[in-house]
Amino acid sequence: MKKLLVLGMLALAGLAMAQPKVFKGTEPGRAGGAYRITAISDPRTWNPFVARETSSTDIIALFLPYLTTYDPYTQAPEGRLAKSWEVRNNGLTVIFKLREGARWSDGQAIDADDVIFSATVHADQRVNSNSRSSFILDGQPIRWTKVDQFTVRADFPKPYAPALIQGWYIVPEHVFGPAYRAGVQQLQALWNLDTPPAQVVSGGPFKLDSYVKGERVVLVRNPNYWGVDERNNPVAYMERYTVQIVPDLNAQLARFLAGDADTFAAANADQVAQVLERIRGNRLRAEIFPNVDVTLGTNFIVFNWNHKDSFKENLFRQVKFRRAMAHLMDKKSMIEVALGGLGQAQWSPISIPNKAFFTDDVAKFEFNPQRALQLLAELGFRTKNRDGWLVNAQGKVLEFNLVTNQGNNVRERIAQIFRDEARKVGVKVEYRPIDFNELVRQLTSPAADGTRDFDAILIGLTGGIEPAFSRNVWELNGSLHAWNQGVGGKNPAKVEAFEVLIDTLMKRGATTLDQAQRRQIYVQFQKVVAENLPLIYTVAPAYNPARLTRLGGMFPKEQINSITGQAPYIETIFAKE
Amino acid sequence: MFGYVVRRLLQLIPTFFGATLLAFLVIQLAPGDFVTRLELDPTQDRESIANLRQQLGLDQPLPVQYAKWLSGILQGYLGLSLSYKTDVWNVIGQRILNSMVLVVLATLMIYLIAIPIGVYSAIRKYTWPDRTFTVLAFLGLAIPNFFFGLIMLFLAVWLSDLTDMRILPIGGMTNEFVHLGNMTRAAQLLFPPALLGTVVFAGLFWWRAQRGQAATFGIWVGLVLFGMSALLMLWPLLQGPGLPERLPYTESPLWARATNVLWHAFPVVVVVGTSGLAGLMRVMRGQMLDVLSQDYIRTARAKGLNERVVIYKHALRNAVIPFIAGIGGLLPGLIGGAGLVEVTMAWPGITPALLEAISAIDIYVIMGLITITTVLLMIGNVVSDLLLAWVDPRIRYS
Repeated sequence: MKKLLVLGMLALAGLAMAQPKVFKGTEPGRAGGAYRITAISDPRTWNPFVARETSSTDIIALFLPYLTTYDPYTQAPEGRLAKSWEVRNNGLTVIFKLREGARWSDGQAIDADDVIFSATVHADQRVNSNSRSSFILDGQPIRWTKVDQFTVRADFPKPYAPALIQGWYIVPEHVFGPAYRAGVQQLQALWNLDTPPAQVVSGGPFKLDSYVKGERVVLVRNPNYWGVDERNNPVAYMERYTVQIVPDLNAQLARFLAGDADTFAAANADQVAQVLERIRGNRLRAEIFPNVDVTLGTNFIVFNWNHKDSFKENLFRQVKFRRAMAHLMDKKSMIEVALGGLGQAQWSPISIPNKAFFTDDVAKFEFNPQRALQLLAELGFRTKNRDGWLVNAQGKVLEFNLVTNQGNNVRERIAQIFRDEARKVGVKVEYRPIDFNELVRQLTSPAADGTRDFDAILIGLTGGIEPAFSRNVWELNGSLHAWNQGVGGKNPAKVEAFEVLIDTLMKRGATTLDQAQRRQIYVQFQKVVAENLPLIYTVAPAYNPARLTRLGGMFPKEQINSITGQAPYIETIFAKE
Repeated sequence: MFGYVVRRLLQLIPTFFGATLLAFLVIQLAPGDFVTRLELDPTQDRESIANLRQQLGLDQPLPVQYAKWLSGILQGYLGLSLSYKTDVWNVIGQRILNSMVLVVLATLMIYLIAIPIGVYSAIRKYTWPDRTFTVLAFLGLAIPNFFFGLIMLFLAVWLSDLTDMRILPIGGMTNEFVHLGNMTRAAQLLFPPALLGTVVFAGLFWWRAQRGQAATFGIWVGLVLFGMSALLMLWPLLQGPGLPERLPYTESPLWARATNVLWHAFPVVVVVGTSGLAGLMRVMRGQMLDVLSQDYIRTARAKGLNERVVIYKHALRNAVIPFIAGIGGLLPGLIGGAGLVEVTMAWPGITPALLEAISAIDIYVIMGLITITTVLLMIGNVVSDLLLAWVDPRIRYS
């Protein structure tokens, strides 16, 4: 009887104690060891409300928790600090249950107050956090309220598909609260790079240990972390996590080749060859996976539909013209020359690695100069003038300027290859690299009459896993509706039918909750874009990850992808030796 | 003389305003600002971008921005870095010190090697050694530093393959862990020869002093090099055996950290020093040849002076005058960093920080650096002029 009582009490205690997150690694791991990577630049801050670049957020993500993210195996939403959730009111309300027993590294409980406080600050216009867009839906706020100590509730103004992905960083209210109440300036001054690392409280797998400017950031395992592996051992396995700051790609390669860094992503075929040569020469115990996936970023050419010159504007608005231009893109050469043989042709706006939404079944206007000439002839450009350029009946030469940002070798080469092919058939393309900021100005700042002063721009956007987050590119009044903008960047004056269709699809995609329906919507969206080519996509660079064989808990080759990377979780990477 | 100095210092004030205003305008003339990059991020909407611009004060007219910055400068405040959200000095201070390690060592190396070689080349012009030095000098001038830096990195990787030991560092300024054990053993091995070398050179020094002769340049160099090495090795010899095999850099004793930084600095200094060395060597040779053809040298030789005395006392002293005048010019160079080598060899100096600031248009970081450099340049010029008057009796200011 006594035994039973003890057992019962133990069970009760266990229930009340903790609800850790189980991190399912690729293989059973063991504790200890160090994980060493290189980064191209220093972090700027440890403060998640100030951070704007990945050099900071990549590190913040190691020590601050967030509610949910994508499951690395299925890309479905997965709870982190949120143990579970419940969707109510046709998707207008989501109730998140937090993990009871989760603690900050200073011993305080992580609870609903921390979550609500963080949401309030992120949403505060005066703070201007980089995550602010996660708290506004079409101009209306998303409201977060506390239900009880371990339950929070989010109310959306309309159903929102990515509602379950809440990846903004949660901070300890007992640290940030007093500063926030004293003023935004005080809040922003917290946790800057001169803050002693010991004062930076962690609620993630690692904890700041030391930072030497320009050299390295060292994190150590957070013993209070709320994660375990499948056998209920605490994670993270690694004792230390070191980020070495190496501002040059070749120097990063040297670190990897010398065995001083555990992972590396080869930027081009030359670097792949160097790693391979060393592995084959038995001088480096490592693996490399060339071309295993492509990166998320996209590169495309966009034509200006708001041109001062009505001849050019009308031309650029012709779908036949844009298809002809697509037919002039020798993507094979682009991959060979610009990407060093490693990469894939891209035909539609959703990044190729984004398997949940990507479709390859779209219209492809492949490299075919003859077909391009036919299409141009249909637009009236039938003859060539004395200099060999195509002209129409009025004697107007088919010509335009193409610019891209200086210093981006891949884009510069892609642009040159396109120019050379176009000039071969008589399209007078003048290519010129220009300063990035000037390019952004030309693209995003229409004059008072709504015209913009460029012909064609080759540029790229960072891709993501959630298509709804690219609404600013595709919706009619989006700030990055790059091909067609109105006065002040608002709704364009003259709109084609397919643009309205894209706008509708994007709005529907963002508010549909059913995954299968969403996929259908985005498949149609890709087809419409590929058919009408408001942006003409070029080629996507390859993802060529490499790693030392001393690492365990990594993905096998088939599972590596550029979204998740080489391992499902940082928590379950371990050192084999 | 005093009046001259005061006048020069007063002239600095308008120069300072002119230079900083110009720099400010040039930075602002370039298209875009700190926020422009965010405009191509699909998750940012117009409102938050406009907000940010307003918060950072980037929407204010240029004169207002400059006046605000200037009033800060006059109180000794360099401004707030836009990307680090902290005092500019916090961003660049440590990095300037890091760069100084390189610049000071490289400058020492350049002067210590270039002047003797230049003199040698001038005295034995068109001999084989002179031609060899000439060819090397042109090579040194022709290889861009950043490229040489990359070669050095691959040399380091190759050496570590060949010997299975980390002989040269693979970039960076410090190690995460310092191997105190290795240092102690190395010191135990190298201390006896270093001590022996010191004794030998000290003996030579003493021997020449006994005969009433000054020590030669070679003796000085030997004495300093061996003496310094022996001194530096005293610490690991005494403390090392009691310490653990390895410690994190931040917890290591000062001597271990200094040795670690010097070890990392060695290849970088070689790279940085080469081109400067090559240039200075040629200039020194030319100067020396120039002086050697003067009438007073012929007179000195004619009256039967020892050739050593002719060269070192009469020729060299006159030939180095331009170098002394150039010392002031080194001052701004001290904080200017060692250039792109710092990027390729991952040295956390000021160059990578400056490049980042420029590409992000973090105006106040750029302005802060320009301001410090400008002030040092102006002071350096004054110092140079004064030094020149001091060493060269032909020049007098009044």
